Amino acid sequence: MNRPARALSHGFWTCLGCRQLVKVSRETRTCLCPRCGARMHGRVDGSIMLTWALTITGALLLIPANILPVMTVIYLGSGDPSTIIGGTLELYHNGLWGIALIVFVASIAVPVMKLVGLVILCLIVQLRLNVAPRQAMRIYRVVNAIGRWSLLDLFMISILVALVDMGAIAEVAAGAGSTAFATVVVVTMFAVRAFDPRLIWDVYEEKMSAVESENTGASHQNHNGERA
Amino acid sequence: MGQDSAHYRSRASHTAQPRAWKRACHQCDLLLTRDHAPVGQRLICPRCGATLHRNMERSVAHTAALSLSGLLLFVPSATLPLLEFSLFSFGAENTLLNGVQALFAAGYLWLASLVLFCSVIAPLGKFLLLAFISWGSAWASLAKPVARALRWYLHLQEWGMLDVYLLGILVALVKMSDLGKMSVEPGLYCFVAMMVVSSAATVSFDAETVWARLARRAAAAGSENDPEAVQ
Repeated sequence: MNRPARALSHGFWTCLGCRQLVKVSRETRTCLCPRCGARMHGRVDGSIMLTWALTITGALLLIPANILPVMTVIYLGSGDPSTIIGGTLELYHNGLWGIALIVFVASIAVPVMKLVGLVILCLIVQLRLNVAPRQAMRIYRVVNAIGRWSLLDLFMISILVALVDMGAIAEVAAGAGSTAFATVVVVTMFAVRAFDPRLIWDVYEEKMSAVESENTGASHQNHNGERA
Repeated sequence: MGQDSAHYRSRASHTAQPRAWKRACHQCDLLLTRDHAPVGQRLICPRCGATLHRNMERSVAHTAALSLSGLLLFVPSATLPLLEFSLFSFGAENTLLNGVQALFAAGYLWLASLVLFCSVIAPLGKFLLLAFISWGSAWASLAKPVARALRWYLHLQEWGMLDVYLLGILVALVKMSDLGKMSVEPGLYCFVAMMVVSSAATVSFDAETVWARLARRAAAAGSENDPEAVQ
């Protein structure tokens, strides 16, 4: 069977900064890219460990982010602090279901999907699961692409805090939950960056070569069997 | 690697055989040795489907023009009000910066700096770096700072969130419209234009053309340090 060549097994590293291919010796642990000067590794150093750490941090922070209020709208002296879910439900009950859907997707579905996706990716590499690598890459790309959109609600809060500031009549104040939520977004963005998708392909490669050696071993046995 | 698009075109017209390159997919580490992709076509990894190289035509010139328009549009977007909210006889305006100011004043330092970074510093830095890269790469003596700028650009790129901010503005506009009167101000149009220019600059920018350009400049200047490691 003719398997495609991996750059690493041919002694090449790709610079993740400028995508330059650099020939390195076997002993080299880390070096600087000769073209752009970025630090290079064969694979991102401690990728899985760092991704796990950041993902777990993000998951834990998601609890205060959802329990604590993110925003309070005070209108004519009265107003209750609302959480992210509360704010979405309120929009829905006011008939603004389009906006409610956008806010729901950006601030509830996206962070949860991102964390679930990261856990799946880490598990695939850590437990060497038998998953089609193309499917795993799809998860990686989705997680990578949706990351930024969960900041939507925080931007909205920052706009409203300045906009609706009329003393006793109407006021919008940010809540403690917003800090936790902002941290979740930043931490998960770093988690995606820490994950090295090439590890998925390394696992796949390992599986394929194991299957291959098993097959050749079996054919040898058959051959011997015929002879005997 | 190491071929400017214009250079490649002229080469291809003279000799039918383009030079082969060697590269590895940055997402699955597949080692590839192929001929150059024609200008204007994308190069996609055959195994994992990642876009390896979007071989844009006249990439540096487009990026230079777009980053300059971005910088020009940044001035009105940052100074003019984006939205106005009025209730009875009171009115308040929102600019890019006073939301951040209000959050700082309320004591939300972390949130305020994140919003400031994603909506002001990162987009502005992106335009500045792109302008510096696309003009600076024309001088061989600027090769080192341009290389550093390219690396910074890569880090900064994903933190520029003008599009998300715009959606935030729209949500705020609809959400508060039953409380008072919300109206769109001229700054918002400049902001939308800046957002469009920013995405166009991201798409048109091609780091490999710049690297090829730098390598050519270095060769022309007769520089001793060889920037090409693999051929």
